[in-house]
Amino acid sequence: MQISALLLAAISYNGSDTKIEKTMANFERLIRASLLTCTMLSVMITVLVVASVFSESMRFFSNIPWSDFLFGTEWSPQTAMRADQAGGSGTFGAVPVFLGTFLVTLIAMAVAAPLGLYSAIYLSVYASPRFRSWAKPILEILAGVPSVVYGYFAVITMAPLLRTGGEMFGLSIASESALTAGTVMGIMITPYVMSISEDVISSVPKSLSFGSLAIGATESETVKKIILPAALPGIVSALLLGVSRGVGETMVVVMAAGMAANLTVNPLESVTTATVQIMTLLVGDHEFDSDKTRAAFALGFSLFIMTLLLNIVALIIVKKYRERYD
Amino acid sequence: MIKLFERRRRITVQRIKKKKSPFIYKAYSKKPKHTWLKKRKVAERRFKAAGYIAILISSLFLLSLVWNVFSSGRSAFTETQIKLPITFEAELVEQEAYRKIVQNALMEIFPEVKTRKEKRALFVLTSRNAPYELKNLVEENPELVGTKKEIWVLASSAVSVFYRQRLLEESKRIGNINGTQAAWITQLAQSKNMRLDFNFAFFTNGDSREAEQAGVLVSTIGSFMTILICILLAFPLGVATAIYLEEFAPKNWFTDFIEININNLAAVPSIIFGLLGLSIYLNFFGMPRSSSLVGGMVLALLILPVIVISTRNALQAVPQSIRFAAAALGATPTQVVFHHTLIYALPGIMTGVILSIARAFGETAPLLMIGMVAFIADIPKSFTDPATTLPVQVYLWANNPELGFVEKTAAAIMVLLGFMILMNLLAIYVRRRYEIKW
Repeated sequence: MQISALLLAAISYNGSDTKIEKTMANFERLIRASLLTCTMLSVMITVLVVASVFSESMRFFSNIPWSDFLFGTEWSPQTAMRADQAGGSGTFGAVPVFLGTFLVTLIAMAVAAPLGLYSAIYLSVYASPRFRSWAKPILEILAGVPSVVYGYFAVITMAPLLRTGGEMFGLSIASESALTAGTVMGIMITPYVMSISEDVISSVPKSLSFGSLAIGATESETVKKIILPAALPGIVSALLLGVSRGVGETMVVVMAAGMAANLTVNPLESVTTATVQIMTLLVGDHEFDSDKTRAAFALGFSLFIMTLLLNIVALIIVKKYRERYD
Repeated sequence: MIKLFERRRRITVQRIKKKKSPFIYKAYSKKPKHTWLKKRKVAERRFKAAGYIAILISSLFLLSLVWNVFSSGRSAFTETQIKLPITFEAELVEQEAYRKIVQNALMEIFPEVKTRKEKRALFVLTSRNAPYELKNLVEENPELVGTKKEIWVLASSAVSVFYRQRLLEESKRIGNINGTQAAWITQLAQSKNMRLDFNFAFFTNGDSREAEQAGVLVSTIGSFMTILICILLAFPLGVATAIYLEEFAPKNWFTDFIEININNLAAVPSIIFGLLGLSIYLNFFGMPRSSSLVGGMVLALLILPVIVISTRNALQAVPQSIRFAAAALGATPTQVVFHHTLIYALPGIMTGVILSIARAFGETAPLLMIGMVAFIADIPKSFTDPATTLPVQVYLWANNPELGFVEKTAAAIMVLLGFMILMNLLAIYVRRRYEIKW
């Protein structure tokens, strides 16, 4: 086979070397050019995302001063159709919205951080291979469940559960509370935090923990005093990435948190988040050119900036950490 | 007095510690060494238990989620039927007054019903779809006209919910069923005129205002159409970008810029892509609202960076020696990539692509933004027709206050999770079967 292929090549190369080389070079150039085009297209998409959201929110800020948006404490974007209509003054103070986002994310991290970290530590330090082989898939399944399913879970299971639980302690929990949304979001983020921190923990050089164990430290002392300090930057960045996911999460909060923008830090009350507001402002048939719809873009833009900053900070922390150990 | 003694002891212990004399140290310290060890062991056990409990809690959540979905979704796979003595009067069939036929049959079973209010309560026992079922039946079997036959007719969802829970709470008012209706249903059930049958309609129908007829076929087809567009766009673009960045791109500031861009794009919340779809695709290009075409394009943006990153990882895993060997035999750079590197990286690439498609399959928020919240009962005929997807359907049903839709939501989630699990299994299979460990 190969000999005949070689022969064939020899025959076809017969005398016309330069021509073939030329076509080969052209082909090469063509492939490269098309690959570069694809790359450019991908880059264009990133630029497009930023540009579209940015331009719309700039148009919003030309009507409404950004200081009102950032520091105003009243969010009621529905403008009244008629003068005598009740409610809806068309004010765009985003503080309650951001506060709600912050509150829900905080609750989510209060669930996800300990659960994710402890599971990661257990899996990478203590777990037997057999235990790992069934625990890891479970957490991976949790990570793969679509967020709309978590939303359903929050509404059908978590909200009644927390309400009856609250009643036992004499607390009245609203059916759409920050606590419900935050808890379920926390469950959702847990596998994400876990898988990143597990990677980080297992990338700490083994010699460090062996050294610690050799001088008589127990496993937990090794984890607390050696592994965690060494892995701290990576773990912090895992938590930051978890936060950025929580901030941008939509379906759980749309279904389980409220619509009304309350200026509160009480987790038992209903709060709203930036993603919920974007949804309520834009879903359905609306006229597109109004302050109301542009406000959604302004919220989207601030969301984008927030997640971008979180990711960049996480990236910087990890980079610094890498330099220390390689 | 004890305090004073304790303090003295501690001072002595410290003084002796400094001199490092184990014998006197042991003699003076009231705390023998093994209690310290015990403390450390307890701390160790506590720490280990905390990790174990954390995993247990996560598994418990998954378990309760699955159990919840299954226990409330199971009933959606059966439908409740009522046996009615239907008389196909020629005159009524002629007029296509099938509703009247059903009503007559109901009146025949319950002749005591006289007042208008009672009649209205009686007639909602059967589904609003029941007359259409009869119509189809007659069109298929014209010989039925003029005869009388006992036929199983679909019950309404409120009746269905009541019938299933009847055994638990005998005469309690459930949902929209009042006392008289409850009595009728009990009577029907006792005379064996009610039954549960497999609900084929759930797999062959689209969305419906009536819970008992709502199905997932239309949304599943919509999902597949959307995913098809998404793959067609994101797969070639993403893989090509990754190949260029990994194999051809020169190392300079521009490449770094692209890399940072794409990495950041992967972390952008999905709802932002919905904003982009709304402002660019719908308002700038004027593409059809809530179509699977636009949905697929939005999802393609969403998974593009994920595909790029996973493809790059797969390419990086191929050892340099393969590239050098191919180049040494005279292969051009493109030949090296397309004949060798890419082939070896293909299983890894496919795994990444399948997983990102699974992610796109479950995505809801950006699709809601581009208007995929409309009520859609018919199978979309083209990619520009209004469509809906499975997760969106779940969202719509979850928001429906009618009791009958709770089980439908759970059942749709079961279908959705089924697809997700299938895709994940496929990814695991591809990884296990084809991936090469270097």
